[in-house]
Amino acid sequence: MTTEKILLNFDPKMKNLLPALKKISACFGYVDENAAQKVADYFFVPLSKVFETASFYDLIKTKKQPSLIIQVCSGANCAVESAYKIIREIENHLHIKAGDEFNPNVKLEIISCLGQCGSGPVMIVNGNVFTRVMASNVVGILQGYL
Amino acid sequence: MKNEIKIITKNWGQINPRRIEEYISAGGYVALKKFIEKMTPQSAVEEIKISGLCGRGGAGFSTGVKLESVQKEPASSADGEKYFICNLDESEPGTYKDRSIVDNDPHLLLEGIIISSLIIGAKKTFIYINGNYRKQAEILGQAVEQAREKKFIGEKILNSKYNLDIEIFSGAGAYICGEETALINSIEGNRGEPKMRPPFPTQCGLFGRPTAVNNAETIANIPWIILNGGKAYAKIGSKKSPGTKLFIINGAVKNPCVAEVPLGVKLEDLIEKYAGGMQEGKEFWFAQVGGSSGRLVLQKDLKMKMEYDRDGKIPLGSGAILVVDKTMDIHELLLSWASFFRRESCGKCAPCREGTFRLYEIAQRLKDGEISERDKTALEDILWTLRNTSFCPLGKFAATAFSDAIEKLKLLQKYE
Ligand SMILES: Cc1cc2nc3c(=O)[nH]c(=O)nc-3n(C[C@H](O)[C@H](O)[C@H](O)COP(=O)(O)O)c2cc1C
Ligand code: SF4
Ligand code: FES
Repeated sequence: MTTEKILLNFDPKMKNLLPALKKISACFGYVDENAAQKVADYFFVPLSKVFETASFYDLIKTKKQPSLIIQVCSGANCAVESAYKIIREIENHLHIKAGDEFNPNVKLEIISCLGQCGSGPVMIVNGNVFTRVMASNVVGILQGYL
Repeated sequence: MKNEIKIITKNWGQINPRRIEEYISAGGYVALKKFIEKMTPQSAVEEIKISGLCGRGGAGFSTGVKLESVQKEPASSADGEKYFICNLDESEPGTYKDRSIVDNDPHLLLEGIIISSLIIGAKKTFIYINGNYRKQAEILGQAVEQAREKKFIGEKILNSKYNLDIEIFSGAGAYICGEETALINSIEGNRGEPKMRPPFPTQCGLFGRPTAVNNAETIANIPWIILNGGKAYAKIGSKKSPGTKLFIINGAVKNPCVAEVPLGVKLEDLIEKYAGGMQEGKEFWFAQVGGSSGRLVLQKDLKMKMEYDRDGKIPLGSGAILVVDKTMDIHELLLSWASFFRRESCGKCAPCREGTFRLYEIAQRLKDGEISERDKTALEDILWTLRNTSFCPLGKFAATAFSDAIEKLKLLQKYE
């Protein structure tokens, strides 16, 4: 897959700018400057406009991402089901702090509600969703990715 | 519970949501046929006005009035376009009612979307769906294809003069894009920041064209109203806001559920009758109504009626109800609320951008037991500023639960 090929699936209309950026980010992990320039040329907008839009949305990344991304929902429903315990467990096990970007290999992100509130707490590891996570399962889940 | 009125959930668990034939056998798309064969856009909008249906996306605005204003809007632009948008961005914590509609009965929603679009004279409609709802986007995509094959969508719908194209637009993870002007910005390829109004989207919306944005649950009521008439609908539930509502009840209750209940129901009954009451050994502390943007309700106010009421003290919001028991560490909830709004603040205006950030810092210090006198005064200032000077309602939402925790749960007293 190349950026050019992805772009050919979209008419160069403004309503397709966000979908195209999302697709590129999902395909390559993030939208790098090179790809962003191609998007800008394709949609006839300045490069700054492309980054202005791209940088706003959680599902579009503009920086290279670590190979292990752990996300935990801290929405109120998950918080009531002990999401913060899960977060502490991960922090202790991997010696990282939620939100920090110091480690180039792993990142723990606190995220907003995913609409799975009926089966919280919810944790996502590299895109795989785990529901009803218990603190005692955390290490087991992470083991599969380390 | 016998004699329940079911408008939105009547097919749930009864039909295969993936097959349009089953929806049709259950009486589906009859409302669309009735609209096309026997009604005009004007008579349909009249029925919706009579029904008293109001928006289920939070604000509770009259759906009939909104549709009518777009219908009447002269098509000023060269192409005469108008747009209808189904708001399925649903990202209020604790809320998954619109997702449940798609999971269980996507064609009911689609039928409502088609009728609403034709009523306002739109030829192009967008379904703006939460970017995390990938499965639901796929279900809707399939439903749209099936409806196209049956000529419910496309050119000359059911051999009438109506044409309509429906496009599914997936969001990219931003709570604020549920706000209608931010949503419109997002489809236009911009940052999802709210716009100044007026002009209202009904006059100048998507790409500058008159646009109606409605919540998915609101729209799912339309086929019933077209079939049974506005008068019949107005008899259901509460006088102030007729109809049923999906409530999403979670937390320390026995049976967390999504329940369709006539508006006007007491909060107490939702918890006791529909969610089975409190879990064994757990004692009720408070309930939060309307997701993380919502207010806190104490035991003494549980008899309050759940309805959309401009003067009501407790706005229903999305209909999410979180029941919290006395073992909960309130500091974790404060942190949850504060970090949610800090992350989701769009950054357009300073009171909310800075206020949510400060609020989050204070929530962290509260959790660590390190709150100072300065923090306490600052907290009052920040909450006041959020409530009174934010550009859009998100900033006000950020202050709501926090203020209630201070006032009703006497949060700061133990630090005195
Ligand atoms: C911060 C914020 C978030 C919102 N999120 C949603 C949402 O997820 N879904 C929704 O239908 N309405 C949401 N709304 C309300 C919309 O702006 C709009 O009022 C609604 O879609 C209109 O539809 P209705 O009249 O059918 O309720 C939100 C409003 C605000 C201020
Ligand atoms: S109140 Fe918050 S979300 Fe609303 S415009 Fe201001 S910064 Fe954006
Ligand atoms: S609150 Fe965590 S998924 Fe909704």
